[in-house]
Amino acid sequence: MASVPSKLYSDDVSLVVVLLDTNPFLWTATATATTFTFPEFLAHVLSFLNSIILLNQLNQVVVIATGLNSCDYIFDSSAPSKVEPFESARMPLLYSRVLRRLEDFLGSDERSERSNGAAAAAAPSSLLSGSLSLALCYIQRVFRSGALHPQPRILCLQGSPDGPEQYVAVMNAIFSAQRSMVPIDSCVIGAQHSAFLQQASYITGGVYLKPPMLDGLFQYLSTIFATDLHSRSFLQLPKPVGVDFRASCFCHKKTIDMGYICSVCLSIFCKHHKKCSTCGSVFGQANPEAAAAATDRKRKAPEV
Amino acid sequence: MPQVRIIAKNFMDMVAALPELKLDKLYENTFICEAVLRSLPPLAKKYVLQLLFIDAPVTAKSMEEWVLADGLSKHRVAIDRLIQLRVFLETTESGALPREPMPSNITVRLPTLEELDVYALEQWELMDTNAQLWYIMREYISNSEDRGEDPADLISFLLELSFHATGQAYNLNTLIDVQMHTLKDLADLGLVKLQQGRKESWFIPTKLATNLSMSLTDSSARKEGFVVVETNFRLYAYSTSKLHSEILRLFARVEYQLPNLIVGAITKESLYNAFENGITAEQIISFLQQNAHPRVAERTPSVPENVTDQIRLWETDLNRVEITPAHFYDEFLSKDVFEGASDYARENGGLLWEDSKKMRLVVNAEMHAQMREYLRRQK
Repeated sequence: MASVPSKLYSDDVSLVVVLLDTNPFLWTATATATTFTFPEFLAHVLSFLNSIILLNQLNQVVVIATGLNSCDYIFDSSAPSKVEPFESARMPLLYSRVLRRLEDFLGSDERSERSNGAAAAAAPSSLLSGSLSLALCYIQRVFRSGALHPQPRILCLQGSPDGPEQYVAVMNAIFSAQRSMVPIDSCVIGAQHSAFLQQASYITGGVYLKPPMLDGLFQYLSTIFATDLHSRSFLQLPKPVGVDFRASCFCHKKTIDMGYICSVCLSIFCKHHKKCSTCGSVFGQANPEAAAAATDRKRKAPEV
Repeated sequence: MPQVRIIAKNFMDMVAALPELKLDKLYENTFICEAVLRSLPPLAKKYVLQLLFIDAPVTAKSMEEWVLADGLSKHRVAIDRLIQLRVFLETTESGALPREPMPSNITVRLPTLEELDVYALEQWELMDTNAQLWYIMREYISNSEDRGEDPADLISFLLELSFHATGQAYNLNTLIDVQMHTLKDLADLGLVKLQQGRKESWFIPTKLATNLSMSLTDSSARKEGFVVVETNFRLYAYSTSKLHSEILRLFARVEYQLPNLIVGAITKESLYNAFENGITAEQIISFLQQNAHPRVAERTPSVPENVTDQIRLWETDLNRVEITPAHFYDEFLSKDVFEGASDYARENGGLLWEDSKKMRLVVNAEMHAQMREYLRRQK
């Protein structure tokens, strides 16, 4: 029978968009606490990128650096470059190109940090929302390019703590990834779990993992995150153990367990407001304390 | 033990069928390692990557725990393939000397990538180009021993060729004699283009060569389509190629031809013509689908369903009546004789028709002598 032409390659052809956390606060902190340094991290990641490109002639890798105040494309394996006669000669070139772009990026990120002043230094989270959006933009462009395209996925290599002020932007990025069926894989290389990434992987059907031993990062990357979407349906992959579903309020950007939600637009607030700051709906005059107490009592039973 | 002849479906099957020693020798070449890795089923690729830095043996049982119950069959296929190709024994990768690239200061005009594609595809007909190519390469490799060449050397050269950059020129003086000889044959097939310089010569691999080891189908290395088929069986082909117009003439009535457009119609007569020449309905349909113009390729189906159905129906029309030479027997002496005869014919697979009431039966002509012998014995 006539086969249904699909714009996706049927098999294991992948487009992997890797988001690298280049937050200087993270890397100076880990350098003092553990033995895992940024150069080591890069060595693992570069081998991983290399393996992805090696696995299939049509595989494509895009690297985006997530800085403190900015983010940018660092590498795109599909970008037309001077044709190298052999793949073996292409690899050192890949490395040097990634490293050079990364250096440029770190320099400009530092300059924008300086001009921004001390405000950002208080919260050393990196601009995850920005790099997620860049990744999704890139993927949308691939989707719309017309020709056949590989199956895209995003891999976040994130170590910095979540920035609650980015909550809305990150969630929007996650939902748009979900809509376009792009899984977000997360590999947390920092000290604590990331609630943002737990939710991102949970909602988009990606894999969330916090490797207990960073020395073997390549093994984690090659075992779990190199798995193409086609093979994932046959393999045992880490399952989410617990997802931190807490939200940030829209008024003070604090992470909260319980709060107030606008019944019209679902905006979240940590305190009772007279009027929704997002959609302008006027809230009723019900006694907020009594309502809070009532929900408290209700919550107790199912929580035991 | 009977020798089972395995028909290689693609390049890697052929590699896998090589004797162990030769296969191990092939793995000394980085290109082969890379080509083999890329040819593996997705799961197998993943396992290779995962086990790359594991020194100790891994038990098959623990590997089976990696997969879900659904994936067990795929897992077995992957493992079988890895063992067949002796990949589980292969861990080292060594660097190889790159072929000397053409110095950039030489001012010979190189063909553009598009021109190369056109050149490469010029000679190929209805079927998926890579599939046809594979048929030919398979014969070429299996005949290599008769020509006094080592199939392993040939395979390794072909694989190496597939890692050359499309459109780059490489100097011929880096090749040994056998490779030179092979290259000339490959040039005839459109895998490489030979370019003569004043003193030296170069070869330029085309996309066919670089796709060779990947066993890709045309769908993944797609060329621009040019055919639009309408629901009224009219066909418009935006092409200047003489070859295209000849291919279309095989199964369609070409009505008029403009410099860049061929207009025709698919008719019952034109299709019967094609069927007589041994072209099947499926081949025609897949040709129309594979070469659908980008405007219609976006749609599903790219060729109108009523047209594809009708092409298949006309083909089955031809198969409706089958003529089998046969003999007709009647006037049996008794019911027993009739039933014995019809059973005998049935057991020997020659019974075509029987009417037990009137005691008549029709048996394949090939069985006539046997039947006569049988009936004589009954008397």
